[in-house]
Amino acid sequence: MKAISEDGELVELTLRGNPEAFATLVERYDRAVYHLSYRMLHHVEDARDVTQEAFFKAFRSLRTFKPGAKFSTWIFAIAYHACCDRLSRRKHDSSDELPDRADPSQGPEQQAIAADDATRLRRAIDALPEKYRTVITLFHLQGQQYEEIANVLGLPMGTVKTHLFRAKEQLRRLLEGTEVTES
Amino acid sequence: MSMDERSLDALDRALFALPLEEPPADLRSSILLATAYRPVSPFSFWEIAVAGALGAVTVWLVALLVMGGGSLFTHTVNAIVATLAGALSNAATWEWLVAGSATAVWLSLFTFSQPVVARSHRSARENVR
Repeated sequence: MKAISEDGELVELTLRGNPEAFATLVERYDRAVYHLSYRMLHHVEDARDVTQEAFFKAFRSLRTFKPGAKFSTWIFAIAYHACCDRLSRRKHDSSDELPDRADPSQGPEQQAIAADDATRLRRAIDALPEKYRTVITLFHLQGQQYEEIANVLGLPMGTVKTHLFRAKEQLRRLLEGTEVTES
Repeated sequence: MSMDERSLDALDRALFALPLEEPPADLRSSILLATAYRPVSPFSFWEIAVAGALGAVTVWLVALLVMGGGSLFTHTVNAIVATLAGALSNAATWEWLVAGSATAVWLSLFTFSQPVVARSHRSARENVR
């Protein structure tokens, strides 16, 4: 099963009743889907639930998966919409506005002190407004495949590029003074 | 390359090097147990429903017989059989059955339910060009 590299083939095998094929897909993407959910929701249990929900929905509607489409884009889109639902429910449940920052009590600049590069970068990402945070997380997960990011978010490619540019500008400003190096 | 471009390049590299969040240890197993490795029931929903209905009828019959309703049951079954036999021995019943079947076959020759193939807006625009 590991030798099979194409996600599309794994989807077909799953549809033919091979559970190991779907297990391989889960193995490939569960961490990335969890990462996206966690960056969007900032809550371990919610991110866990959304990740489970995304794979469950994908498994149930695998027949609707278009041949030739990218499984990663599809599963990220399902997870993204599940996160949006959860965020809007949270907003509905709480009379307060959703915080745009992960930890409003302490700014990322302060948090960055004595933290390593990856932690500083994560905190800076968390300090971005939600739309920028999502686009930068998908950029991290999918690379420079703007079309895929646009497909996940259901936004025009131009908007994605603009969001990404602004997100990077904000990130750069947040990290200013603390040089970003590869970790 | 300007200072800004250099720092954006460094930011890109840092982003790509950023490790993914570590998911809870049992996340994968719980996903798999809910999807691919979900225990499958040996019976389908309809099989269980039919078995349940037959079981209920059996219990009802046993209860009826135990409670001394055997004669009532026999009488009901005899009445149903007699009614069916009477209907089927009537020529008019057979004529109606034949007429109904013939109409069904005749109607099935028409293709009313042929789906209309929808064209996307995009392909329609391309055809106009």
